[in-house]
Amino acid sequence: MTLLSLTGIKTHAWTVLAEDAQPQDGASVLVPLARLREDGDAIFAVAGKVGVLVPTDTVYTDLADLTNKIALAAIEFPAFGDGRGFSLGVRLRKDLGFKGEVRAVGPVIPDQALYLLRAGFDSIDVADKKRVGAFETALARFSDFYQTDFTGARALAHARHGTAGERIAS
Amino acid sequence: MYAYDKFDHGLVDARVAEFRDQVERRVKGELTEEEFRPLRLMNGLYLQLHAYMLRVAVPYGTMSGTQMRRLAHIARKYDKGYGHFTTRQNIQYNWPKLSETPDILQELADVEMHAIQTSGNCIRNVTSDQFAGATADEIADPRPYAEILRQWSSFHPEFSFLPRKFKFAITGANSDRAAVKWHDIGLILRENGSGEIGFEVLAGGGMGRTPVIAKTIREFLPEKDLLSYVEAMLRVYNEQGRRDNKYKARIKILVDAMGADEFARQTEAEWEKIKDAHIDVPAEEVARIKAFFTPPPLEVLPTKAPAVDELSQKNFIFASWVKNNTGAHKVPGYVNVTISLKPHGGIPGDASADQMDLVAALADEYSQSEIRVSHEQNLILPHVAIKDLPAIWTDLNEAGLGTANAGLITDMIACPGLDYCALANARSIPIAQAITKRFDDMKRIQDIGPLKVKMSGCINSCGHHHAGHIGILGVDKRGEEVYQLLLGGSGAEDASKAQILGAGFDEHGIVDALEKVVAVYLGEREDGEEFLATYRRIGAKVFKEAVYDAA
Repeated sequence: MTLLSLTGIKTHAWTVLAEDAQPQDGASVLVPLARLREDGDAIFAVAGKVGVLVPTDTVYTDLADLTNKIALAAIEFPAFGDGRGFSLGVRLRKDLGFKGEVRAVGPVIPDQALYLLRAGFDSIDVADKKRVGAFETALARFSDFYQTDFTGARALAHARHGTAGERIAS
Repeated sequence: MYAYDKFDHGLVDARVAEFRDQVERRVKGELTEEEFRPLRLMNGLYLQLHAYMLRVAVPYGTMSGTQMRRLAHIARKYDKGYGHFTTRQNIQYNWPKLSETPDILQELADVEMHAIQTSGNCIRNVTSDQFAGATADEIADPRPYAEILRQWSSFHPEFSFLPRKFKFAITGANSDRAAVKWHDIGLILRENGSGEIGFEVLAGGGMGRTPVIAKTIREFLPEKDLLSYVEAMLRVYNEQGRRDNKYKARIKILVDAMGADEFARQTEAEWEKIKDAHIDVPAEEVARIKAFFTPPPLEVLPTKAPAVDELSQKNFIFASWVKNNTGAHKVPGYVNVTISLKPHGGIPGDASADQMDLVAALADEYSQSEIRVSHEQNLILPHVAIKDLPAIWTDLNEAGLGTANAGLITDMIACPGLDYCALANARSIPIAQAITKRFDDMKRIQDIGPLKVKMSGCINSCGHHHAGHIGILGVDKRGEEVYQLLLGGSGAEDASKAQILGAGFDEHGIVDALEKVVAVYLGEREDGEEFLATYRRIGAKVFKEAVYDAA
């Protein structure tokens, strides 16, 4: 496992809380959403920073009461083609105003790196260390975009008519 | 038509480099086939029965003479000298080598073309009326909006891994030639009471094994809100569309399961939140794109041309061609011309490189360098002076492109079928050839009149058989190719689903059955009544008796 920061934020590995374990005093733990629903009070009372592992079939409104308590939302892609994860990233930023770290976990592929960044993700848990270079290449592949996104980039439709005054066809 | 600026060029060039890198990584084993598959599909590259197939986008079916010449060049250099125009107004090459596809994409990028999102579980090429901007019956040219949608949907950060493929169609005309009601999202340009342009928005249409006609979810959407509204629709679908069963993953299943009213409610609720979020393009950009689609400066001409009358009197085929293959233009003295890619005995939708070059040359000389592809797999010269028709037809006819059957029984849609396709259960091409040979008499098919026959070689219905006045579906029954006959479908504004008539036929029986259906129609029709109207008036029973009792 290698962590790749997309946004440049400092990121670090989190320890997943084992099924029957309780967090140690002040320790940072990554907790599956279902577990946090059951034992949330106890975990938040004892642990330091808390991250949540979010399955892609989660309805985003189920996260609404957690976003001000967690430091990390790690979205677990069961397969790289499960595009619900991208909408969850968007929902966390757009609807829930989440300011913490959003991470992609699971078999995402290098060619998705830029899509993840633009959908609000900060980091990717890269399963195969040898692929980090390919992720980084993909991240730098495009520099202009047709859509507004969560990196703060303007859509070309706006940029074309922006202050630089660049417009009209070649 | 739209011309790329440096940003558009930069994006397609970056895409070519990306795909080149993906192919290299696949060849080196750095990408598994499972990982490579959706990436190549999003570049239009399929693995078919015998070879790779590359599907190149012709956005909303509009291209220039220069672009058509490039398509011809690609057919010659990288393929076997021909290409196949498809129901999504695209072109497919059946024999490219994997290693050469990045070079093909670069050749396309150089003339402002690409294969982006012509396949895969993403937003596909937006289709439109092939006569857009060149027909007397439209409120406005829909292509600026199609271009806005093309840009917005290309490499969308959130909607590139949808539950399933996603197809838009848009029309600005009263006659729906784009089958908008058979699409995941259909858009129909409307004018409100104040003379403002907007869209009627439909959702949840589709063919495949579960044919569904789209439902209207909003009667009038102001044009400025297009992208934010469709983004809301796509978000609802991306989050809630089924991913457990690919046959139930299209938006039609979601809209059906939750109900069109609930889908509309959720869309509207999401749209309320995002409609001011700078998702929509600014008015300056709408104006910039519309400027590319300014009608060409055509000088009004007489509608009567002596040369046309003269050749019509001498040549019945030319007279038929003028009648069937030309349509009313906005400007007096002009027509739009449909070049039939359905020669009798030929392969529907195929064109050779030489034919493509000829069409490009004719477009340059007679049609403002503009060409269209129709979803019915024909080519169109949109802006032709009536006086030029004899010269154009003479050239077309010499090249095997002068068939006068546009809109008639032999102007069939047919998928590639088992001759090429890995999904097919039955062949389509030989059946289409047999039908066009059976109905080879121009006088006879003209007497039969407008009739849309659509054939698919499997349940996925690429050949639109659900929407055919007469549909043919090839299936596999214990290793035998069997053809089912369906009647009463429509892809137009009066959209309807064709119904299976009865038991299927073998490849000869289906042609006989089709002929019997036509005979019933000819016997039952009232004055000026087209096939579909007769069928709707008298129902399936009479046809069924004729087809099955005699058999």
